[in-house]
Amino acid sequence: MSNKLSLLAGIITFCVLHLVVAGTSHAIPAFSRAHKVECTTCHTIYPELNEYGDAFLKNSYVYVGKGSKTAKKPAAAPAPAAATAKETPAGDAPLVKGDGDAGKLSKLKAGAMGASAAPQATAAAPAEAPAAEATETQSEGMVLAGIPEQLPISFTGSINYSAGDRNNASPGGNNVDFSAQSFKLQAGGNFRDKVGFFVTYLAYSQGASNDNTSVTPPNNGTNINEFFMQWRNALGTPVNVKIGRFQPKLGLWKSNNKVSMTYNYIPYSYTVGTLTSGSVFRVDQPQDAIELNSILGKRFFAAAGIVNHKGQNQKDGYGHFSYKFGGADYLGNEPNVDLDKEESVLDFLTVSTGAYGYYGENGVYDNNSIPRNTFYRAGLDAEVLYKIFRLRMLAGYGHDDNVLLNTHPTPWTDVFSKTAAVEAEVTLLVNLIAAGRFEYLQETSDNTPVNPTLNNNRDIYIRRYIATLAYAPLENLKLALEYKYETGPNFRSNSYDPNSINRIGTASATFSF
Amino acid sequence: MKRILLLTALITLAVATAADARVKTKGRGAAMTYDATTIAPQYQPAFELLITKCVKCHTMERTVVAIQTGRAPITGQIFDRQAIKAYGIKMLRKPNSDMSKQDIREVVILLNYILDENSKK
Repeated sequence: MSNKLSLLAGIITFCVLHLVVAGTSHAIPAFSRAHKVECTTCHTIYPELNEYGDAFLKNSYVYVGKGSKTAKKPAAAPAPAAATAKETPAGDAPLVKGDGDAGKLSKLKAGAMGASAAPQATAAAPAEAPAAEATETQSEGMVLAGIPEQLPISFTGSINYSAGDRNNASPGGNNVDFSAQSFKLQAGGNFRDKVGFFVTYLAYSQGASNDNTSVTPPNNGTNINEFFMQWRNALGTPVNVKIGRFQPKLGLWKSNNKVSMTYNYIPYSYTVGTLTSGSVFRVDQPQDAIELNSILGKRFFAAAGIVNHKGQNQKDGYGHFSYKFGGADYLGNEPNVDLDKEESVLDFLTVSTGAYGYYGENGVYDNNSIPRNTFYRAGLDAEVLYKIFRLRMLAGYGHDDNVLLNTHPTPWTDVFSKTAAVEAEVTLLVNLIAAGRFEYLQETSDNTPVNPTLNNNRDIYIRRYIATLAYAPLENLKLALEYKYETGPNFRSNSYDPNSINRIGTASATFSF
Repeated sequence: MKRILLLTALITLAVATAADARVKTKGRGAAMTYDATTIAPQYQPAFELLITKCVKCHTMERTVVAIQTGRAPITGQIFDRQAIKAYGIKMLRKPNSDMSKQDIREVVILLNYILDENSKK
């Protein structure tokens, strides 16, 4: 027993020491530490992604250019470093024999560091290159094993202060609220460019306090939010295989890919029915799934997958495709802008478009006597980027045939939903972004209302106007002010009132390290 | 006398051979930059752009190290003419980079020039 305790203590000490040692690097999260890059390489203001962050995400957290198959060959008039370089064909791994070939081992280690697919320079000068240095300075065993030298863990905390008229304040909520909102652990990276992985663990989110008001709100619960790995270019094909728990690739943006703090875009986040008996399905919810995805022709991205619900044999299915016009492609390559020509709108214009569909069933866990709800969602997204301006547009349509899981259809069981959102953003300074959003949800039922005093018998509407100002005094620290104006915010409760209004101001600090 | 002339000629030749075409650097660490006096006059305006606009977001050290080693210091990517153009386009498209297409073009030509100069033996 004491041996086990000692082992456990040893492991904990090892982990803690690793975290402490990591403090000598940049005090920013896992990907920054691993690739020694700034947050702004991939983000506008954390956590919103720029197009290189999107390429990094689509490439399974393999740093594009550092070891990707898209790394460019030296040009005709090369730098001194590449003047006498020889190239190793992509994927042509050197043979390893037992007679101790230091040169080959060096190449193997370089490959393990993610450079195997890129042209390898063998001239003297590249020995000075940081990538080569990094390989040499890392533990050989760790490099060959593909294990990251530092634990790829980061932490994100969020503290919110909000004030205003709130008609749907949850228990423990009040009009002026100081809230230590959440604290998350994240891990991500790749193993020798072959397998990408990502984990989000919600360590704390503030729960409601129904006890004495002196009681600090407890933890709402811990949870694995996302936990997946992705096999890159499976069996030498352009197809990646993703398994685990993750947000199925449906919309163009993951739920945290925005500067605003509260509410994901309504086409991704709305649910149907009442709080007590409605469907809990959301487009952006993490699910246990298997997904195949691929970048085709550098600018086309397609994904399709199957989702499993615990306690239900029927599987859900989904598909997504997107295409990008202009800007850097999905592999992070810059567009071919002719610098000798006059400045043109097309030099700066990027348009991304995407479409998705999801078809599934849900119901009561392990209860086959209760009918299930068959539903679908479909949506179109678009993003326009021009210099400091960004415009996102989303539209969604859905249908649920038995939201309330009734054996005999009753009013408000067969629901059609329509959603739309528009968000405009302007980058005022490199670290200052202003955004304004309008979003809309309509849920209607074909059934005739029998009792119009109850919300579940009539159509509901919600409109939101959200203004956000986000500022990053440090790259890993985001301060934001947000104002929300909502009509019909309590649309899922039995006291739905289309004329009720929320006016909420929020100040937020989010930091990552 | 002939010996003296021969010796003088040899010394002159030796000194001429040792002359360096490279654009020289000065300073260390974050203060590292190129010595403006070793840059050809026609590239001086572009150099002025480089040291005033590019340093708003990153040090000159990053540029100098990339050119001197042939590798981008952070990403480890090969830093050649093609990469210089790609970085130029990236900076052009970066919101609030405050650089016009003409600015970028001049800086790209300057960096290509330094790259070429430093590749001379």
